[in-house]
Amino acid sequence: MATTLVSSAGGMLAMLNEPHLSLKLHALSNLNNLVDTFWPEISTSLPKIESLHEDEEFDQHQRQLAALLVSKVFYYLGELNDSLSYALGAGPLFDVSEDSDYVHTLLAKAIDEYASLKSKATESSDESIKVDPRLEAIVERLLDKCIVDGKYQQAMGTAIECRRLDKLEEAITRSDNVQGTLSYCIYVSHSFVNLREYRQEVLRLLVKVFQKLPSPDYLSICQCLMFLDEPEGVAVILEKLLRSENKDDALLAFQIAFDLVENEHQAFLLNVRDRLAPPKTQPSEAAQSKPSDADSTQNASANGQDDVQMTDGDSAPTVDVPEDPIETMYAERLNKIKGILSGETSIQLTLQFLYSHNKSDLLILKTIKQSVEMRNSVCHSATIYANAIMHAGTTVDTFLRENLDWLSRATNWAKFSATAGLGVIHRGHLQQGRSLMAPYLPQGGTGGGGSPYSEGGALYALGLIHANHGEGIKQFLRDSLRSTTVEVIQHGACLGLGLASLGTADEDIYEEIKNVLYTDSAVAGEAAGISMGLLMVGTGSDKANEMLTYAHETQHEKIIRGLALGIALTVYGREEEADTLIEQMTRDQDPILRYGGMYALALAYRGTANNKAIRQLLHFAVSDVSDDVRRTAVLALGFVLYSDPEQTPRIVSLLSESYNPHVRYGAALAVGISCAGTGLSEAISLLEPLTSDVVDFVRQGALIAMAMVMVQISEASDSRVGTFRRQLEKIILDKHEDTMSKMGAILASGILDAGGRNVTIRLLSKTKHDKITAVVGLAVFSQFWYWYPLIYFVSLAFSPTAFIGLNYDLKSPKFEFLSNAKPSLFEYPKPTTVPTTTSTVKLPTAVLSTSAKAKARAKKAEEQKASTEISSAPDSTSSAPSGGKGKSSGEKDGDSMQVDSPTTEKKSEPESSFEILTNPARVVPAQEKVIKFLQDSRYIPVKLAPSGFVLLKDLRPTEPEVLALTDSPSSTTSAAGGSATGLQSSSSAMAVDEEPQPPQPFEYSS
Amino acid sequence: MDPKLTEVSQLFDRFKASFLRNDYDNCSHLLSQLKVLLTGFRSLPPLFADTPNAVHELTIARDIYEHAVVLSVKIEDQDAFERDFFQLKPYYTDACNRLPPSPQEYPILGLNLLRLLVQNRIAEFHTELELLSSTALENPCIKHAVELEQSFMEGAYNRVLSARQTVPHDTYVYFMDLLAKTVRDEIAGCSEKAYDYLSIKDAKQMLLFSSDQELLEYIKEEHSEWEIKNGSVFFQKAKESAPCKEIPSLQLINQTLSYARELERIV
Repeated sequence: MATTLVSSAGGMLAMLNEPHLSLKLHALSNLNNLVDTFWPEISTSLPKIESLHEDEEFDQHQRQLAALLVSKVFYYLGELNDSLSYALGAGPLFDVSEDSDYVHTLLAKAIDEYASLKSKATESSDESIKVDPRLEAIVERLLDKCIVDGKYQQAMGTAIECRRLDKLEEAITRSDNVQGTLSYCIYVSHSFVNLREYRQEVLRLLVKVFQKLPSPDYLSICQCLMFLDEPEGVAVILEKLLRSENKDDALLAFQIAFDLVENEHQAFLLNVRDRLAPPKTQPSEAAQSKPSDADSTQNASANGQDDVQMTDGDSAPTVDVPEDPIETMYAERLNKIKGILSGETSIQLTLQFLYSHNKSDLLILKTIKQSVEMRNSVCHSATIYANAIMHAGTTVDTFLRENLDWLSRATNWAKFSATAGLGVIHRGHLQQGRSLMAPYLPQGGTGGGGSPYSEGGALYALGLIHANHGEGIKQFLRDSLRSTTVEVIQHGACLGLGLASLGTADEDIYEEIKNVLYTDSAVAGEAAGISMGLLMVGTGSDKANEMLTYAHETQHEKIIRGLALGIALTVYGREEEADTLIEQMTRDQDPILRYGGMYALALAYRGTANNKAIRQLLHFAVSDVSDDVRRTAVLALGFVLYSDPEQTPRIVSLLSESYNPHVRYGAALAVGISCAGTGLSEAISLLEPLTSDVVDFVRQGALIAMAMVMVQISEASDSRVGTFRRQLEKIILDKHEDTMSKMGAILASGILDAGGRNVTIRLLSKTKHDKITAVVGLAVFSQFWYWYPLIYFVSLAFSPTAFIGLNYDLKSPKFEFLSNAKPSLFEYPKPTTVPTTTSTVKLPTAVLSTSAKAKARAKKAEEQKASTEISSAPDSTSSAPSGGKGKSSGEKDGDSMQVDSPTTEKKSEPESSFEILTNPARVVPAQEKVIKFLQDSRYIPVKLAPSGFVLLKDLRPTEPEVLALTDSPSSTTSAAGGSATGLQSSSSAMAVDEEPQPPQPFEYSS
Repeated sequence: MDPKLTEVSQLFDRFKASFLRNDYDNCSHLLSQLKVLLTGFRSLPPLFADTPNAVHELTIARDIYEHAVVLSVKIEDQDAFERDFFQLKPYYTDACNRLPPSPQEYPILGLNLLRLLVQNRIAEFHTELELLSSTALENPCIKHAVELEQSFMEGAYNRVLSARQTVPHDTYVYFMDLLAKTVRDEIAGCSEKAYDYLSIKDAKQMLLFSSDQELLEYIKEEHSEWEIKNGSVFFQKAKESAPCKEIPSLQLINQTLSYARELERIV
């Protein structure tokens, strides 16, 4: 018999009117089942059912049933508020676990309601807002259910949203994978919690939970603590790890330190460093002799077991030598960690890496140099900028030295930037920086030999070299600033000082810069304004008001602009706290201050993708009367959205079609900033039409932005990179091209091959924290519209794309790992080659495959050796020990050969699907996904990070270690420091040569 | 046999016995017990579960509700009638493929139609009518109600009143009495609108009263706003109570014209 269905709920509705209670109950429960179909019929009887709910004679269950029924009907009628209030009345009958649309919708509604009530209550800190206890009960029931069902992520998300930190804690501690849950929670709190204060509360809780764990994840804790700005906590953890018997703990401490350094929070790092307790007995001689003893005992323990009990047992031998070895060991480790925390270690290693892996293509520069007109000073200095950017941090200044004559055409401010360019090239060359710049620096007294322009430039260069690590140079810069009255030198000194003491909020320096500002000189004042901002980055101090007042007083637009940017910098990352100031600036009469307001919005809400900020910026982008403000508003979107680069092209796509060229320019740079280094396809598609815009400066912006997006993307992964390179070349060679876009093209080629093709632009560290230096760098860089020398700030945003593995001694041992993808995807762009005998005009050069082929044959033998090493990893250490500590340059060559081995394999056989990389290796961002560590390797990484600084644990500590990277530019350049001209003609062997590879003609004919 | 079912049938037998004895109080009492017992059967609407005794249970339940409807007419309780009828309805509409049709079906449907007519719920009356099949419309019980409605609509009130004599079922009498009252109300409403006043004699004839006394009582109860003066009934007061508002037509016309002119000028 076919199942019969009722065609109407009329019968049941009629039964509701029966006088007998049990009949009513029967009707209610039946209606409750039928409501999904017959709600329209039931809705006419709602008042009756509502009265049943309120009927005191009814027992609890029946009244709740009636409420549930009413709630469902209201739900179908779309009256969610009423529905929710009746569902609350239904009490336990409202089953949160039921899998129906009704329950889902109402739960969402309930959570929304609850969350908004809770946040309102905390925001107004008003007790009058009472949360319905029934609502609270429902949410709690839901949370409990999620936890019981193992849906911890849901529970956590809801708990965070509802500000139920108690439940959050419960969810975390009860989850089966506490570590994973915690890291998820950290991620959530960064990406979805918009209120800064509340986020800090969440993080504080997380730290608390972390610390309760039996084996805490110190890496994450320290990241959280850094976010909370609690250096004490970090110091305590580091000290504990350093004092530990286990060598692994020390490694972990070093790793933590490196990770912290990556976030570039100078003031915080210094604070941590100063809080680390000094060793109890300061060993004088012992420090040198003892460590090896201590090490060997430690090695034994590390080798045997990681267990705590083992180390406890192991502590017996230390009793023999009371106090001393532990303290010595601690002192030694402390020294290392202080080196790391000050940033010196990482900077030095980066420098080594960039120097030894430098692949910049001087031929490109040469082409540019020859094609730009001599008298066109804009393109001339653009070429100098491009050179500086291309060699940022590599210390390779061959191009400048070979073209001193050409360089001398730079006069006045061009001279300033030419000198400052040296700072970019030598970025991070902390020890030698000052001696390198010595010839250009102001000589003692006032009337030195050099022009003020090169002197100012040199001071600026010093700032760039020591950017964010200016401990050593600060004093010198201050003295220089004090002892001069020349505007240009003051300008350079201010910028340099700001860079060197970035974010330190040093009162004395502030006062000195303020004095410069109050001289009311346009040139010096502008730099002073920016410098004050740099000094006070992210402090949100009330100095901003002081600056604002002066900006109103002064007549000089330049000073106002400098101050506006400076004020914006002070509120970096303050989010809501900055709202008053932003409001003040964006409502100002002066367009320059409104323009500063846009930057303030951008920096205060950097990388938060905060809706309010985006809305405000979009509003200004279309409604402000000043083009400058509109341009900046659009550009600022790039900063707000950089944590979510996929969004930016979508949001600015309409703006990029605006009739206003300023808005188009802003859109281009916004995409460039937020998608920098991602090679995002949509971003490229958006920029492509803009690179052939009708307005010259839009083309300029688009070219630069495109270069920023494409940095380190190989042609193999996106063919448009090759197209873009050819386009740049065409623009540079074209005689009739506008100066503006030509300049853009020259800068773009610089950025595209930045840092010897080994750096990318990264605004987020690997732990998804914002890199303050990088963001600030790009913000000031975007000012080059008004002041070209600020282009150099882009170098602050460069971060090396390297995997640098370090052992306990912070040296890079020989270590191999796997890149599980076609090598050609991530290889360096092939060097351009000289077309047969350069005569008149350079044609776009075809890349000859023979050069690769040549290399292949020449190095075949070495290749095979390398591959045998790979196949038998344990042997690898024994096979190549002869190089030893000395490390000839041949060995180094071998390393670099292995890195670019893909080109060799391509011709002969089908390309292999993986590649073995050798520490330290270039790992581009897109490659990080495919990095694998080999199982049977001698070293295992402390943290499974595919790039950056990674501490390696030595599994066979007794064997002699083979170091991979020992030559550093410091040895060569120290010689060059004295004689400024003859720098590294011999040692800068590889791609620095502008000539093709020596064996090439021979191979070509064969 | 299922003990519950046995209990219901026994109780139902007692109910029928009291029903025959016209012991309506006892009947109502038993009926409510029966209804509660019926809720225990899962085969009844709206569940229609396939239990072994489904047909039997359905039949007895339908029987009970049919009796309940008749009972409600006997005790002249319209609300109870409506309630019981709606509960009975699923047995006719939804269970027809499981049960043989009940002999009582058409009389009860006709009764319901009559009830709607009495309560002047014409819209629902037609809705019910639409749901009936053409064969049902042929049934004398239904036909009776339909004809009544037609007369009622036409205003042929005398035919309505005379139809009392031709009722197809004795339970209809109650509703026919009520219908007379409904008719009277209709007439009263119409006269109110149609006349300023009527002489008592005419009014008596119009409202189908046999004596002046009845008329006066009726007026007192139902239409206290009517005035009785000089041997006539004045309806004026009722009219005054709801004066219709005058439409400021001239002003509106002027305004509209000026708008039109303005519009023309703009375009």
